[in-house]
Amino acid sequence: MSSPKTARRLTRLLSMLPWVIANPGATVDEVCGRFDYTPRQLAADLNLVFVCGLPGYGPGDLMVAYIDDDEVVVEMADYFSSAVRLSAPEALTLLAAGMAVMSSGQAPEALKSGVSKLQRLLLPESEEALVVDLAEPELVGTLRGAAADGQVVRIVHRALASDTTTERDIEPWTVFSTMGNWYVSAHCRLAADERVFRVDRIQDAELTEDTFDPPAEPPPPVVSYSPGVDDVTATLRLGPAAQWITDYYPVDKLSTEDGSTVVRFSASDPRVVARLLLRLGSAAELIEGEEVAAAAADLKQRILARYNV
Amino acid sequence: MQNVIERILNLLAFLLTVDRPVSADEIRMTVAGYDQSNDEAFRRMFERDKDLLRQLGIPLELKPTDAWEVEHGYVVPADEYALGDPGLDDEERAALWLAAQVVRIGGQAAGPDALFKLGGAPVGGAVEPLAADLGAESETLGDVFLAVSERRLVHFGYRESRRTVAPFGLVHRRGHWYLVGPEREDIEHIKVFRLDRARDLSLGEDADAFERPPDFRASDAIPQAPWEAGADDVVADVVFDADLAWWARRQLTGRVEAKVGADGELRASIPVANRDAFIAWMLSFDDKAEIVGPPDLRAALVESVMDSQ
Repeated sequence: MSSPKTARRLTRLLSMLPWVIANPGATVDEVCGRFDYTPRQLAADLNLVFVCGLPGYGPGDLMVAYIDDDEVVVEMADYFSSAVRLSAPEALTLLAAGMAVMSSGQAPEALKSGVSKLQRLLLPESEEALVVDLAEPELVGTLRGAAADGQVVRIVHRALASDTTTERDIEPWTVFSTMGNWYVSAHCRLAADERVFRVDRIQDAELTEDTFDPPAEPPPPVVSYSPGVDDVTATLRLGPAAQWITDYYPVDKLSTEDGSTVVRFSASDPRVVARLLLRLGSAAELIEGEEVAAAAADLKQRILARYNV
Repeated sequence: MQNVIERILNLLAFLLTVDRPVSADEIRMTVAGYDQSNDEAFRRMFERDKDLLRQLGIPLELKPTDAWEVEHGYVVPADEYALGDPGLDDEERAALWLAAQVVRIGGQAAGPDALFKLGGAPVGGAVEPLAADLGAESETLGDVFLAVSERRLVHFGYRESRRTVAPFGLVHRRGHWYLVGPEREDIEHIKVFRLDRARDLSLGEDADAFERPPDFRASDAIPQAPWEAGADDVVADVVFDADLAWWARRQLTGRVEAKVGADGELRASIPVANRDAFIAWMLSFDDKAEIVGPPDLRAALVESVMDSQ
């Protein structure tokens, strides 16, 4: 296996050649800017091209490539006048990225026309076959603007797990989307610490007059659940109709028998597991977890009261 | 690295111009860079170079060198090597480049290779503050995209059985990638498969293995809300208490009629295609929402809560 570095250098070289052939008179600066070369790297690649060509390898067989004054010259290389086709992952990544930005509603015209040209090239008779839908909740724009301007935002936030609503002043750092949800990472003045909030759980956001200096290096925009010391745990037996839980939630599988699975579930609040138990009905059984049992009993009673049962 | 790059340039120049299948022996005798090695060294070197070509996305095929198919040789078909020209202008390239910087797939940002192939991106322009990760493993995704664009069948394991599907489309929505298309045995019935649950995925050998209906739109196949996917057909009348009305409204799609009542409560009539998913969603409001009708749907929610222990 050749190194990825060799592959990258060849890809760039085999992309630069067609462009220079199609754009005679291109300057060193133009080529370097376009293909992310330093002038030295460009000269090194052209020197390689200069000693390659067709069998015979005499003066009439080798390609011609050099820098004349400030101009990049490539001749006798017509067989490299087309770039290499995009691999499937390359094509998908580029198209999906363009379509994601478009679906968020902030795409410039050039992106829309660029994506549509790529679609015609890559999916000629099936432009409706690829869809990337990254709809933005309404407050994303406000939060993103505040993050860019360093403005403190007062948010009304609903914690789904504990069903509590709080008003907080936050210093928004980054707004990002992952696994289908939008988040804002921020310094929360109420918690006096770094927090990540799901944007759709923010009921209201209002810009304040207050400003802040963003950290030089905001933490990477990631959301990950890692069990904390205050977490509650419960042990559940999941019947065949509840097996999907193991795909959706970070559970530890303890044992499996006769189509049911015993799992350990950790959550920041017992109500998370309690809601799940109510939804699963007879498909799941709580084996262990006092706090969860209490939360489930309370929730059950309240819901049945609402339904007059 | 220099030697490898020279050898690959010479090999490609030869294969792109020779216009007939050439045997490994002929390559060894003819192309500069292979000549000085012994049998074993040549074989290893040539294998490595073939891998490298594949890594670059360059199609290398083995074809018979004569009508009797006694000997086989290598071909790089020029039309498969070359990237078609999508006709992008620099502004469009720059916009695609920016989009590729802010959207990731499974944590991976698009490398510059695809843009280089398309003619490079002129530098400049601020990176948009959109940061999105579209999830999923890019290798499977690339394969599925290839199948969608070349109309190849896809084989994979899904929920205990092997499936063969005609991939009409590929959709990213709500954090997941979905493959949309009918199974081969039931071509009339378009299904939706979550790609992260597809195991051991492979592509059929033949391109153009199916016809995509001309009016097919992948986005129509995937519902906006989980309870919109299914075979059930009821309209649920529901009420959400005032303090969670905003949260309910945010999750309802455009097709739902909703009215705010005298006390700020939200009353809505919601078309439901999947009763279980709908009941689960209603339970996420604890006792602050209620299914008013129809009676059997209301009873199903109560039953699920009663059955939980």
